Amino acid sequence: MSEPYLVPHRERDRRPIRFVAFGLAMILVFSVLAVRLGYLQVANGRTYASMAEANRAVAVAIPSSRGLVYDRKGRLLVANVAAYAIKITPAELPYEKRDAVAAQLGSLINMQPSDILATIDSATGSQFDPVRIKQDVPKATADMVSVSAAQLPGVHVAIETRREYTTGTLMSHILGYTGPVDPATYAKLKASGYLPDDAIGKAGLEASFESVLRGTYGQQLVERDPTGKDLQVLKTTPAVQGASLTLTIDTTVQKEAQRALEWGMKTAHLKRGVFIVMNPQTGEVLAMVSLPTYDDNLFAKGISQADFQKLATDKTQPLIDNAVQSQFAPGSTFKLVTGSGGLQDGKLTPTTKLRTAAYITIAGTKFWDWNHAGWGMCNISCGFGNSSDTFFYQVATMLGADRLAYYARLFGFGQPTGIDLPAEASGIIPSNQWKVSTFGQPMFGGETAQAGIGQGYVAVTPIQLINAYTALVNGGKLYRPQLVETITGPDGSVIQSFKPDLIRKLPLSPATMRTMRIAARASVTIRHTYNLVDMPVKVAGKSGTAEFGIKDAKGRLPYHSWFVGWVNKDPTSADFTRTDSQLMFLAFAYSSQTIGNAATEIAKDFLQLHYHIRHNYLLPQLLIKGNFAGQG
Amino acid sequence: MRVMRAEPGRFADVSSRTVGAVWRAYDLQLTTYAALLGVVGLVMAYVNTVEAGDPALGNGSVFSRALLWSGLAIVVYLVATAFNYQWLKTFAWPIYGVNVGLLLMTLAIGDGVGGSARWVSFGPLTFQFSELAKILMIGVLAAYLGNREGKLDSLGAILGAVILIVPPWVLVMLQPDLGTSLCLLAILAGMLFLSGASLIWLTAGAAAAVAAIPVIWTRVLQPYQQQRILSFLNPAADTQGAGWQVQQAQIAVAAGGPLGVGLTNGAQAHGQLLSVRESDFVFAVLAQELGFIGALVVFLLFIALLWRVLVAAWRSKDSFGTLYGAGVASMLLFQVFVNVGMVVGIMPVTGIPLPFISHGGASLVSIALGLGVLQSVNIRQQRAQW
Repeated sequence: MSEPYLVPHRERDRRPIRFVAFGLAMILVFSVLAVRLGYLQVANGRTYASMAEANRAVAVAIPSSRGLVYDRKGRLLVANVAAYAIKITPAELPYEKRDAVAAQLGSLINMQPSDILATIDSATGSQFDPVRIKQDVPKATADMVSVSAAQLPGVHVAIETRREYTTGTLMSHILGYTGPVDPATYAKLKASGYLPDDAIGKAGLEASFESVLRGTYGQQLVERDPTGKDLQVLKTTPAVQGASLTLTIDTTVQKEAQRALEWGMKTAHLKRGVFIVMNPQTGEVLAMVSLPTYDDNLFAKGISQADFQKLATDKTQPLIDNAVQSQFAPGSTFKLVTGSGGLQDGKLTPTTKLRTAAYITIAGTKFWDWNHAGWGMCNISCGFGNSSDTFFYQVATMLGADRLAYYARLFGFGQPTGIDLPAEASGIIPSNQWKVSTFGQPMFGGETAQAGIGQGYVAVTPIQLINAYTALVNGGKLYRPQLVETITGPDGSVIQSFKPDLIRKLPLSPATMRTMRIAARASVTIRHTYNLVDMPVKVAGKSGTAEFGIKDAKGRLPYHSWFVGWVNKDPTSADFTRTDSQLMFLAFAYSSQTIGNAATEIAKDFLQLHYHIRHNYLLPQLLIKGNFAGQG
Repeated sequence: MRVMRAEPGRFADVSSRTVGAVWRAYDLQLTTYAALLGVVGLVMAYVNTVEAGDPALGNGSVFSRALLWSGLAIVVYLVATAFNYQWLKTFAWPIYGVNVGLLLMTLAIGDGVGGSARWVSFGPLTFQFSELAKILMIGVLAAYLGNREGKLDSLGAILGAVILIVPPWVLVMLQPDLGTSLCLLAILAGMLFLSGASLIWLTAGAAAAVAAIPVIWTRVLQPYQQQRILSFLNPAADTQGAGWQVQQAQIAVAAGGPLGVGLTNGAQAHGQLLSVRESDFVFAVLAQELGFIGALVVFLLFIALLWRVLVAAWRSKDSFGTLYGAGVASMLLFQVFVNVGMVVGIMPVTGIPLPFISHGGASLVSIALGLGVLQSVNIRQQRAQW
């Protein structure tokens, strides 16, 4: 048996049936494969072609040109400029060459190859959608990438437009900026024609007027062969350019406001401030400055992570628009509400005198006047003009918390004004109901008294505060503050032009409002706000110092200073019974521990610039650090 | 007629037979079909080299490497034919040991994509020992089952074969190479089936294996192993999506139409969208460039070759030859079905090469070895009347 094959042949116990079965299985296998192959290759005409049809007619978006932005005098604020972007179409980048292409492209555009690959991999959408790797590359870099195209399959240089904000940091909080749409937002907006690598307004008017500015993307229906090559354009729907905005902002006034605020903040060493200018007759915002600010061009060019982190973590919060997104205690400026309510509810007449003193006692607690002597018997003009705290403690107490809150809400406090900017704060107006729902108990008497002088729980945004005063000044019409004068279509036709947007007519008698306006003028003329009285333009207004935060070593609180004022249509007219003012302004200085009211000096500087007043009335010595708390 | 008159003594060994008798027993058809398929493989290697923009005979090009491997395959084929296959029975256990050793070495020093260990490099050449393992296991299993002829109705023989295949199967799974491990199972099943093993036990075993899959999946495999298997099942999923690759393959195939776009024209028509076009997806390129007709010709070559393999198995006078042929036929059929099925979208994506045509030296040389052994079986038969 050592040579088994020497065994004479015998029929082994083979299983022919098994061989036949195997042969049949083999035939079956090849038949299945042949049928499927024939289906793909020969019968292709019908079923497969219709399946491939979806592949074949590919819709390629044609981006529209985003609308421009002008100021009220027609000066261009936001333009579109050409920029080079590096994009990769994943379908055209062979997998085997990914690493090599990423390495070479990375060295050309100064990017980590791993970041390039991560960008491709994180892209949503089809393999045929180009993924933006880097935007706004210099032309020289773009040229180098173009020249190396042969070694960089799938890489394209695209000419895109990016936003250019011509005024730099001047209007960043108003205009905002655009940025790449994030995946979560994209998922929501996909149906509205957004592309995965699209730009979208992220802040300011760019965000709130996104749908107007964006226009309508066009579409090209391109026929592609089964291999992905473009054959012909089947249908083109042209893009419709975005509409342009003309703002109510006057660049000149904006610059004056910024210069004045910068001067005041620099002189008084302040970190944050706001200056707003409005036309009380219409609700148009002529200038709105929030400092510190940032350059929105940084975002337009594709902000680096480092730059963004720097802005986002800055303690002075340059990205926040303090004019509409932050709320602060209004201090004595809030006495407008208390005084108007007291007059309107008949708690006071213009001649009613209340005793003012160093303090009054409510439920056993002393509530001090800023002036630790008082003014004796005082009418509304004396009380408002001198900003007597004890006067308004009494008026607030007479009104009660809910009546005070009612008047505050009438003036627009405690709710967003509806200005055309995103993320507007509401402010806080304490009422019994608010107090119960927030702290579980009604307002105490002392808290109501505090609210009457704009302290305690009360918080307002600068835009709410100036808007409330515009209603006083124009005779009782509370308008929605607006930033957009006209919306103009791509063909130059006006789609929408400015109309004052009345929120409500205040149910205050003309006499009440006249009394309050005269009281506001008195605050200047009785030399409470003495630093404005010598000005050739006649100003009425109200200052405020609002304590906040934590007491210092000497038991004193830091405070903000406010000034909100106006001039008549004829700025030299001292007749403040009039309701024709076209210039209302508000200055706010955050945490300004100076010996004088910093906001008033800032407002004065603005008036000097605005009316080209040669003589310099500024008193920078008032802006030296010191304690001025409680002047009201 | 001439064979009928042959006297047993004259077939004692090839050396004692006349050259004419050996030549008559030699299956020229099998050699011809294998050679034609090898030529198709060379053509596809050429096409892919040219389409990639490389010089055809450039140093290290796909085509020049394919030529080198083809030459080696011819030598292996001839040596295996001349070699008396009876020795494979004698050396079955040492061969088994070498096989397991090579797979262990691959795990230890092998390279592969993404942390896997699939092939071992020898200078510029790489070799995938799992390909060789399939052929070696066919020999080992043929020797083992051949010794148990007549007892194949019992469960014992079947279990023995299963136990034999477990170590190489596990080692291949660890690479991980699910395709080859499935191929090993297909070989085992085909050999048991054609050797006449009890259908009841075969069916029971198959049912048990299928039933065990969910249990193994949830109880035995770690999440990362499941992930490995999933990503193995869909190798393109890590990159640009398995669906994408399969879709591209089908678009390419469909673009070929009945007559094809012509050799070397595939790349222009299709960019370089299809990856692994010279290996796993080579059939997509072939079907695109040679069309339905060309693909059918290749199918016919495979059918003819399988026919000759089955004939060799049938007429072998000993069980070893029958089992060996059954193993080779099972392997070839399984690989063609899975690979082409994957390209035309009726099978999941697994990295199984198309015999002869997918680029890869180990696959070609291993098949040459298998067919050479079969030819050795052929020329040592008494009955050569087919």
